[in-house]
Amino acid sequence: MTGMFRIPYLQRVMEYLAGEIDAPPEGFPVALTNFQFWGLWWCILVGVIYIFSGQSSKFIYIDF
Amino acid sequence: MIFNTWDYYVLFLVPAALCFRLARASVRPWIIAFSGCLFFLYFSLTQLGGAIGAACLLIFLWESFISRFYKPASWICWVGVVQTILFLVVFKYRNFLSGLIWPVPQQNPLYWRNAFLPLGISFFTFEFLHYAWDRYRNKTETGNVGEYMAFILFFPTMVAGPIKRYQDFLPKLRAIPEDWVLDAQRGFTRVLAGLAKKFAIADLLTAYTNHLNIADIAQAHRAILPLWLLAYGIKIYVDFSAYSDIAVGSARLFGIKVPENFDWPYFQTNITDFWRHWHISLSSWLLDYVFIPLGGSRVRVPRIYANLLVTMFISGLWHGAGLNFIVWGVLHGLMLAVHRWWRHRPGAVPSAQFLPRAFSWLVTFVAVNLAWAFFCMDIHTALFYFRRLIVG
Repeated sequence: MTGMFRIPYLQRVMEYLAGEIDAPPEGFPVALTNFQFWGLWWCILVGVIYIFSGQSSKFIYIDF
Repeated sequence: MIFNTWDYYVLFLVPAALCFRLARASVRPWIIAFSGCLFFLYFSLTQLGGAIGAACLLIFLWESFISRFYKPASWICWVGVVQTILFLVVFKYRNFLSGLIWPVPQQNPLYWRNAFLPLGISFFTFEFLHYAWDRYRNKTETGNVGEYMAFILFFPTMVAGPIKRYQDFLPKLRAIPEDWVLDAQRGFTRVLAGLAKKFAIADLLTAYTNHLNIADIAQAHRAILPLWLLAYGIKIYVDFSAYSDIAVGSARLFGIKVPENFDWPYFQTNITDFWRHWHISLSSWLLDYVFIPLGGSRVRVPRIYANLLVTMFISGLWHGAGLNFIVWGVLHGLMLAVHRWWRHRPGAVPSAQFLPRAFSWLVTFVAVNLAWAFFCMDIHTALFYFRRLIVG
């Protein structure tokens, strides 16, 4: 992890929650097999998508 | 659109990923190729290009055929390179390039009134070019026709990347992990996270970025102008990284890990590192197929600067057929050249202290965001924006 803000733990937590990395950061209490947590997390994401959907615009990088 | 439509998930992603997982290994490439053909036809007919756009599927079929003749050091590889560049010139740059000679469309004998872009042409052509060039240099194996069709027709990455490499894709296609629960969990999470980013952040910022037009800029208070451009800088990052999240997550549902495109680019402290973390699959493509063939950094210093400028000129032109995109690319080329000069000046020692690094980050962040002006506005509007920003 390079860059100005050396907060690798927080970055890795966000990457883990976003599905980018497979292993949780050291000390993070949620394993991939914790289906209650992931079920709740997916519900939150779906809720966010539902609340903000309907205003969708084109993705910028699709043949511009 | 595509990734934020139900059609994508219900008609293509879920059925294709399920069939792929359940099928025998020998059939899997054909499932990707077949679903990719249907995907291209469906979204061309419903969203881009219509029937003529859908007919551009023939480009993929022709590429699948001719690529079978690519051999190391063979002239046929050059045919592949030239024809791919021709696809780009005809579909993407014809009106722009001929417009430089005949600015008035009515007087332009080459003007294409109903011009359209085949779905994903900017991205799939770069994969075609990579394969032809790497076969020429014997840097990748041929694979069989089904595997190559799976490579070019893999629909999660077809429309806007990440730009794949055949030598990276092929082993993954041949050895799909057995742990489908892990792939499904990670893929599903990644797709949801990408959609949430797109809807909740990128689309919300549209309310601010819509003001980047000449009428609103003329009327706005000067203090609000940087905020609109900053909103665009955040929006383009969130929008494209969200797109990449959905593409990578979709690929993961097949059990295939495709390259990542972003790695915290706005946290970088110089422009060179920014480009190592922004649209990584494109940056590395330009490095391997433009910058290094031009001589890279192993030539005399003035040539290195020229190589940087040429590479970023091509990057700008690739991003759009317009002079503003070229200016944006050349600006980044100049920034990369200045950074290289600064890094290699006599007595240069990189500082690890907080304040110099914070200043370096700030300069990089501001420079990148100011340069977006030429990405999201035409030259005339962008110059007007800067005139209002600086002079008032």
